[in-house]
Amino acid sequence: MTFYEKQTDPSSPMHWLGDMQADYLYPNGKAGDKLFKHIKENDTFLASKCINCSKIFFPPRLYCEDCFVEILEKDWFEIPSTGKIRLHTIVTINTYGEKLNEPKMIALIDIDNTDGALLGIIKTDNIDENLIGRKVEAVFKSKNQREGTLKDILYFKMR
Amino acid sequence: MNRVAVIGGGMTLFRRRLLETGKELSFLAAKMAMEDSGIEKKDLDMVVMGSAPDAFDGIHMKGENLLDGAAATNKPYVRLFNGGGTGVFAPIAGWWHVASGVADTVLVVCEEKMSSCFPHPQTAFQHIWDPILDRPLHPNLVWLFAMEMNRYMTMHNIKKEDIALVAVKNKRNAVGHPSAQLPDEKITVEDVLNSEIMAWPVQRLDISPPSDGASALILCSEDRAKQYTDDPIFIDGVGWNIDSTMWTNRDLYFPRYVANAAKMAYKMADIHDPKKEIDFAEPYDPFDYKELHHLEGLLLCDKGEAPILTREGVTQRDGKLPVCPSGGLLGVGNPIAATMGQKVCELYWQLSGKAGKRQIPTDPQVGVGQAWGDIMQMGTVIVMRRG
Ligand SMILES: [Zn+2]
Repeated sequence: MTFYEKQTDPSSPMHWLGDMQADYLYPNGKAGDKLFKHIKENDTFLASKCINCSKIFFPPRLYCEDCFVEILEKDWFEIPSTGKIRLHTIVTINTYGEKLNEPKMIALIDIDNTDGALLGIIKTDNIDENLIGRKVEAVFKSKNQREGTLKDILYFKMR
Repeated sequence: MNRVAVIGGGMTLFRRRLLETGKELSFLAAKMAMEDSGIEKKDLDMVVMGSAPDAFDGIHMKGENLLDGAAATNKPYVRLFNGGGTGVFAPIAGWWHVASGVADTVLVVCEEKMSSCFPHPQTAFQHIWDPILDRPLHPNLVWLFAMEMNRYMTMHNIKKEDIALVAVKNKRNAVGHPSAQLPDEKITVEDVLNSEIMAWPVQRLDISPPSDGASALILCSEDRAKQYTDDPIFIDGVGWNIDSTMWTNRDLYFPRYVANAAKMAYKMADIHDPKKEIDFAEPYDPFDYKELHHLEGLLLCDKGEAPILTREGVTQRDGKLPVCPSGGLLGVGNPIAATMGQKVCELYWQLSGKAGKRQIPTDPQVGVGQAWGDIMQMGTVIVMRRG
């Protein structure tokens, strides 16, 4: 029996070094395409509403997952890019265990006038403050720098 | 065991690249099957998702990503895969949900989005091999299948022309399939033989194309089926079997794992002489020689006899044993798991007379569908019967 966890040098057993090539090109999808084309040109969001249960989806969707009905073009509408912080955390080290230059607040934001929420970075002067329930609004890249992805939203700021 | 009926089917377009996300494709296929059957989300007891390796879509735990597009939110749900075998294995899993009595009505969705994997989904296949014994040689599927094809040709003295006939038949059969990616009314054997050689004897037109797409089925108990249809189609036999992963221990000219799976399914369906009792077949045809290989594995002809039947026209849609009347993977496309659309939905459409332009003219009563997967070693078989 060999117990590898007792070895401190992972390359000590005879081995072959391989990598996994995996590059991806993810299309936004039908609903995503509509949303991100809108965000590219506007500082507002889009939502879609299920006519069956009245649930308002943000990010907008092609279908209601509860009723399993398609949401048609006419049931899409513009909404402000504002919301309320439902919960948050403060990140101090990255995935590799290295300390960040400055701590980063990540929050789940309930988007106004919808039943949906979005993950976002919160910029605040006092990161130790409890910000749950506070109103925020999205800050976007300048229009000529937007690419039609989630990264067009730079962060959320206090209203 | 409860008898299990199929009461609805659905299938999206199959294309090299589709704008829809995987979950949007799942929704479209599932919705079609639900509308075909009259079933709504509230009527579903459980959902089964089939989708091949996560590496295609580029989403680890793809089943979780897809579930809201499969009407599975807040329901018992399972995602499973055995590579190319998934398109028949997912409905087998749906079958055991109902046959066991734990569910009355089940939705089975199969989805694949191969175009996300960039620049080509073949790169995802590079990691399926044994890292010590295979991968240092950089195997790819085309040259491994080329060796298997060559072995089959050598063992039975089969001409390339006879194998090319399968590609011609299936691409012609796909004309009139609303999902088809590569239908071709005018294709000839010469076109196949003149196409680019990739790894002898495999040429470009011997292979089905990678695709995006989804398909769906509604399964239910016999009692429940009576509420929705007067003419239910039943799944009367299922079988699955896997061969060794070691090349050295495999036969490679006769797919004995398919034969084992077929024997299991035929026994369950009370079929004693498949050559006489099966009216039509949908064997897995990602390469043209595989249709022949699999016809022999399904015990629908003797070893080495499938190319002869093909040459004699027996496997044409109006022949004595129609094979791949859907157009198969060669004609309709090959979004791995979603080929449930050709291999199982097609059985349902043919048996219920809903196949439109593809309808077999001889009023078929019993059909067999089969898929092939994992690392060229998995056979999955389903037998469906009318009434
Ligand atoms: Zn709804």
